[in-house]
Amino acid sequence: MAKAGVGERLRRKEDERFLYGRGQYVSDIALPGMLHAVFLRSPHAHARIKSTRKPRGREARVFFAADLEGVKPIRSSPNFPGFKGADFPVLAVGKVRYAGEAVAMAVAESPAAAEDLLRDIEVEYEPLDAVMDMKRAVEPGSPRVHDEWTDNVFCEMRFDVGDFEAATKAAKHVVTRECRMNRQTPMPLEGRACLASHDRRTDEVTVYVSTQVPVPAQIGLSSFLGISQRRLRVISPDVGGAFGLKTFLDGETVAVTWAALHLGRPVRWIQDRYEHLVCDANCRDHWYRITGYANAEGKLLGIDCEAWCDTGAYSPWPWPAGIEAGTAPSNMQGPYDVQAVRARAMTVASNKPPVQPYRGVARPGVCFAHETLMDALALAVGCEPHEIRLRNLVRPEQMPYRTVSKKLLDSGDYPEAMRRAVQMIDVTAVRARQRRGEPDGRRIGLGFAAFYEQTAYGTGPFGYSAWGIELVPGLEPATARLTGDGELVVDVGVHSHGQGHETIFAQIASEILGIDPEKVTLRYGDTSISTAGTGTYTSRSTVSGGGAVATACKQLKAPIARIGAHLLQAKDSEVEVRDGRVFGPKGSVSFAEIGRAWYHHPEELPPNVDPQGLTAVAGYKAVDGGVFSYSAHGVVVAVDTDTGAVEILDYVIVEDCGRMVNPLLVEGQIIGGLAGGIGNALLEESVYDERGQPLSATLADYHVPGASSIPDVRIAHMETPSPFSEFGMKGVGESGAIGPPAAIANAVNDALCPLGAEILETPMTPKRVLAAIRAARERR
Amino acid sequence: MKVTLKLNGVETVGDVEPRTSLGDFIREHERLTGTHLGCEHGVCGACTVLIDGRPMRSCLMLAVSADGREVRTVEGYEGDAVMTAIRRFFKECHALQCGFCTPGMLATAYDIANRLPHADRARIRMELSGNLCRCTGYLGIIDAIEKSLDHIHGTDRRTRKEAS
Repeated sequence: MAKAGVGERLRRKEDERFLYGRGQYVSDIALPGMLHAVFLRSPHAHARIKSTRKPRGREARVFFAADLEGVKPIRSSPNFPGFKGADFPVLAVGKVRYAGEAVAMAVAESPAAAEDLLRDIEVEYEPLDAVMDMKRAVEPGSPRVHDEWTDNVFCEMRFDVGDFEAATKAAKHVVTRECRMNRQTPMPLEGRACLASHDRRTDEVTVYVSTQVPVPAQIGLSSFLGISQRRLRVISPDVGGAFGLKTFLDGETVAVTWAALHLGRPVRWIQDRYEHLVCDANCRDHWYRITGYANAEGKLLGIDCEAWCDTGAYSPWPWPAGIEAGTAPSNMQGPYDVQAVRARAMTVASNKPPVQPYRGVARPGVCFAHETLMDALALAVGCEPHEIRLRNLVRPEQMPYRTVSKKLLDSGDYPEAMRRAVQMIDVTAVRARQRRGEPDGRRIGLGFAAFYEQTAYGTGPFGYSAWGIELVPGLEPATARLTGDGELVVDVGVHSHGQGHETIFAQIASEILGIDPEKVTLRYGDTSISTAGTGTYTSRSTVSGGGAVATACKQLKAPIARIGAHLLQAKDSEVEVRDGRVFGPKGSVSFAEIGRAWYHHPEELPPNVDPQGLTAVAGYKAVDGGVFSYSAHGVVVAVDTDTGAVEILDYVIVEDCGRMVNPLLVEGQIIGGLAGGIGNALLEESVYDERGQPLSATLADYHVPGASSIPDVRIAHMETPSPFSEFGMKGVGESGAIGPPAAIANAVNDALCPLGAEILETPMTPKRVLAAIRAARERR
Repeated sequence: MKVTLKLNGVETVGDVEPRTSLGDFIREHERLTGTHLGCEHGVCGACTVLIDGRPMRSCLMLAVSADGREVRTVEGYEGDAVMTAIRRFFKECHALQCGFCTPGMLATAYDIANRLPHADRARIRMELSGNLCRCTGYLGIIDAIEKSLDHIHGTDRRTRKEAS
């Protein structure tokens, strides 16, 4: 067997099925007698429903909210002080609060026939003024998204740590910036999907859902349908991309599951792209005002910040409204040694879809704010942007470092990452090129971003329980079982939808048991197999799920060694488990022989054998505040001041995610994240008109990066093991997406600086770049 | 309506509604679910199949328009040396993650491999403009196609072009 444990660039086991078209996504599953559901959606952003009428003769196949007997609205109300709840109705009740909100469900023999039914449903609306701008939303006299509220604020959080007054008094430089990160849609290639089927024999409902979180989906369906968890089995098969979108429980899945129970036939719903672009325009939408107070050398003493998120109409489950803006304050100091932070986080309701965490959660916006601040500070102090960062980054000798917001940065050398990025991008050469000027007249700009990524949060007060949410993640289970032919089956609660867990968890098993990864099957995405664990998000799975796999495999060594020793007629203390065998003083036995003894020939087992047999069940509890990856991004752009076009000429990433299980897959995560980040920075925006009509309802209007948008990025790894995780692993799933908006904005602004222009809004489209140049010209 | 076409080399007769797309016919009538529908408005390219040897969107074409034509899906490359190489390098270069765009990417890659033996990275990028991937950031896909071209047409394929 070739070396296949932790650290190897093993090619993915899962590739084979996808390369031959044998993947199985929800839409690939068809059950006998299956019906198809489609949803009637609100054409208005804000309106009262005056009356409804079902198509004559087809009433039994059309459902409004009142028909869904026993179904409760989706409720997600954390115990943040002052949080206003906003139930998310499965189908609209009384009012519609965003364009695209589901109003009715129609069910028929084919999706096309169901859509024909939609055409004949009549709904009379009384349109209302829409709340579309978060700043105007909090002004007195603004229309209200929820009639029973006194304003449009879900919650306001205040945060004040360190001696802020002292910092402001001591400051020699005070710089302020305002940044806007506009609304986006996650845009996985596969949209949301579900298929529900009721088994009359077992009275169990099996729901196939395209989800990152099978167990939470089961819990949520149980709550909102009002049926026991034991009657619900959620299967999440292959999932065609998710990026955070598929962590929340949507009303459609609740309605479809209800329909399968009510109609006694399987019902499937496959979201189309229009529905995704309109109803899932549900991420980012941040605004920041950030002020930095620094001494004469540019050492930051304090940060003052306003962080706002337009979080849409409802609070989704399980991640409530408030998480996005609420993530900002405790991260606003970034990877820097800052001793005072004051912040206010505003979560505002509007007539848009409810905001969900998308790759990076709020941190691409937070990084955008603290990194544009660092460049502004460099400008004020008169030094290179990387220099100002080196003066402020937490130093390796300070590790583990407790931030002023009480996060424990576990390990690493942040300045070294920045120095390497500086070297790789060759700052001297870029500055020389800038001075020379380009033959085509474009302006060259250089930008950096430094940040940490908090991964695999734990349960405690610095992890998830601080949010006061209903479903606190943190523990992850794994079961490892040696089969009768000496191979391994591993069950986990985390889900894989591109991350390659089937490969990397097999590598982890191989590292511990010496078994060939080809002889390991990973099972996941089925609540009848993986009965606990909360799924895959916040870059947690390799650390938490992988940690559980490592623990289970270690535990499994004991019964393997025991039986092996008995077969070898050796003492327990004399044998060693490695390379898929048990070695004694005289000879060895294979796992197959041990499996055979347990399953087929109990007469050969030691008399006092553990009746648990060759199965180990383990859990893994991530360290309270998680483990911290970090990164330095450097980018060179060319800005065409006539057309406003931005071209990325060079991009470098220095990344430290601790011990890498599989560097090839780490790079895949980073590059994929970078592509999303480039879309965030330059291309992607869910645009609305002032009445709340979505203007980005097709992929011709919503621009996703293509192959030509992504440069040949260069990646350098640093590998500082975390002291707090198995093998020293840290998560890396979101990191690539966090830095690009900040780094690219800094590069664009570096290019525009001589013109006096600055742009602090994403995406930095040609139109916005030209507007910034024009505004600078008018100011002069 | 009746439609007769050659699907992965097999003469296939279907009875479809006039509005049934070729993509739905392939997936729902013939149960060849390797072809994925990503946007159903001709942008994302996940549904790309070969029609008479050329990559086309199966979501934009009606099943009845495929009457009399040859359609090849991801399930239809058994024993094909070019596709075998492309698949090998897709795996080698980590050119896929969730796998949803992969069948369409393979169809486009197959077309590049046969039509553009001299393609460089810039040309490969341009040719991929009709296929979106949300996971990989494309670099693995570009690497895989470049390596496939080298393997199929020789590593001196670029210099030979310049010489000719």
